[in-house]
Amino acid sequence: MQLLSGDARRAVFAPLDDGALRSEAVVRRVGSAIALGLMADGEQLPTETDLATMLNVSTVTLREALAELRKLGLVETRRGRGGGSFVRSRDDVLAELADTRLVELGTTDLRELGDVHGAVAAAAARLAASRASRTEIARLRDIVDRLARAESVTDQRRAEGRYFIELAACAQSVRLTMQEMDLHLELGQLPWPPEHVPELLDVIVAGHRAVVDAIEERDPARARALTEEHIETRTLWSIELRLLRVGEPPARQEVS
Amino acid sequence: MSARSGPPSARSASSRADEVARVGAAVSEVVERLFGTVTAVRSAALRSSAWDDPRGGRPVLDDSVRDLLREPGQLAVGLGLVVAPQPGRGLPLRLEWWQVDPDGGRLRTLEPDLKPQSLGYYDYTATEWFDVPRRTGRRHVVGPYVDVHGTGRYLLTLTEPVVVGGEFVGVAGADVSVRRFETHLLEELGRLPAPFLLVNGEDRVVLSTAPRWLVGSLLPPGAGPAGSGAAVPGVPWRLHLVDDVSLLRP
Repeated sequence: MQLLSGDARRAVFAPLDDGALRSEAVVRRVGSAIALGLMADGEQLPTETDLATMLNVSTVTLREALAELRKLGLVETRRGRGGGSFVRSRDDVLAELADTRLVELGTTDLRELGDVHGAVAAAAARLAASRASRTEIARLRDIVDRLARAESVTDQRRAEGRYFIELAACAQSVRLTMQEMDLHLELGQLPWPPEHVPELLDVIVAGHRAVVDAIEERDPARARALTEEHIETRTLWSIELRLLRVGEPPARQEVS
Repeated sequence: MSARSGPPSARSASSRADEVARVGAAVSEVVERLFGTVTAVRSAALRSSAWDDPRGGRPVLDDSVRDLLREPGQLAVGLGLVVAPQPGRGLPLRLEWWQVDPDGGRLRTLEPDLKPQSLGYYDYTATEWFDVPRRTGRRHVVGPYVDVHGTGRYLLTLTEPVVVGGEFVGVAGADVSVRRFETHLLEELGRLPAPFLLVNGEDRVVLSTAPRWLVGSLLPPGAGPAGSGAAVPGVPWRLHLVDDVSLLRP
């Protein structure tokens, strides 16, 4: 695999923070990278040594993570010439992984994630309303249209991720753009609400369209308020999905 | 060219005109120097024999081109060739681009994500720095902008079309970081010039020595500096002198 230099790659391979359960953190990071299309089906992973260095984990931890990813069916290892570890994109496994993650988290974790995403995205929307060019506004609209048309869960996730990242770029801010990218690597580890209730996609699309309208009308206060409100709603969806799982065992389920 | 609000500046009209000319010349000099680098990349691309067999996938530029980044006084932080894809002929998206690592100053190859299905897809054919030279056949400068999914940096990008056998085959270009552009120009100008704004064709501030006007912001319609400003030779930019208003003296 090439070691790409884009912002997305930087986020995928950013060193993991210190903490327990690091092999699980590697599994989650790789899982969300696959869910967001940053690692494509059939793509070869870097060598174990390179991957361990990039993620700042020991090779032992990395091997544990790879073993788990193989067991889940998200990585396939082939021996011999032309061998190595390859990505396998499987929607069923990704959904399972997202579910497991949701159950590991408490409602306050979900609120915290929503609070930060709200702060970043609302600031980006406010700035975009005074800084986005006509061309950029047209591009935002185009991304939201693509989100509305996207049929698969992965396409929907990716289109929405591009919407938020583009919004931050419209704010002329590298830092907000990087923050959005990092946040999407985390959000990509959680269930996608329209997968459970398809009508919610309409709510998401309408929410983003209203923000783009406010940006086009050069109304920073409204762009900001609408974004905050939308992300608050999203946080409540995640919390409700989490609470629906109360009583179920938090252990990771085996996926065949 | 006085600003709409506040009294006219104490400076005489002739000294203001001198100041505009001085700043404008410095900006032009920097822009032309950067385009000189772009032209050198383009010439190297035109000399290449790789175009004879485009499907061979051989690199167009040889490694010596990246040494341009090491030349003394080089302002560009990245340069190279971006190839026009031709799906019909089996020619994919492709870049041959090098950049100076912001941390260590090492040279790196830029390898952005070119998978259309990815969140990080670098859809460069839709960018202004690629599309404008393709459509107009002329050189172009874009920015400041966040090069999202590409270098991830805050840039000005200068490009020229590369035409082989009458056919547009891509763009040669150079990136300069907004920080380096600003630092270099302010150093060149020596003493702090009269407060001025440099704005691009979409009314976005490229450079400013007046704290009230932020780099990257758009001039609000109807509330920008009065007058049309002075044209900067060679680029679709304009220079406005504005009034001194210190925010540090409440």
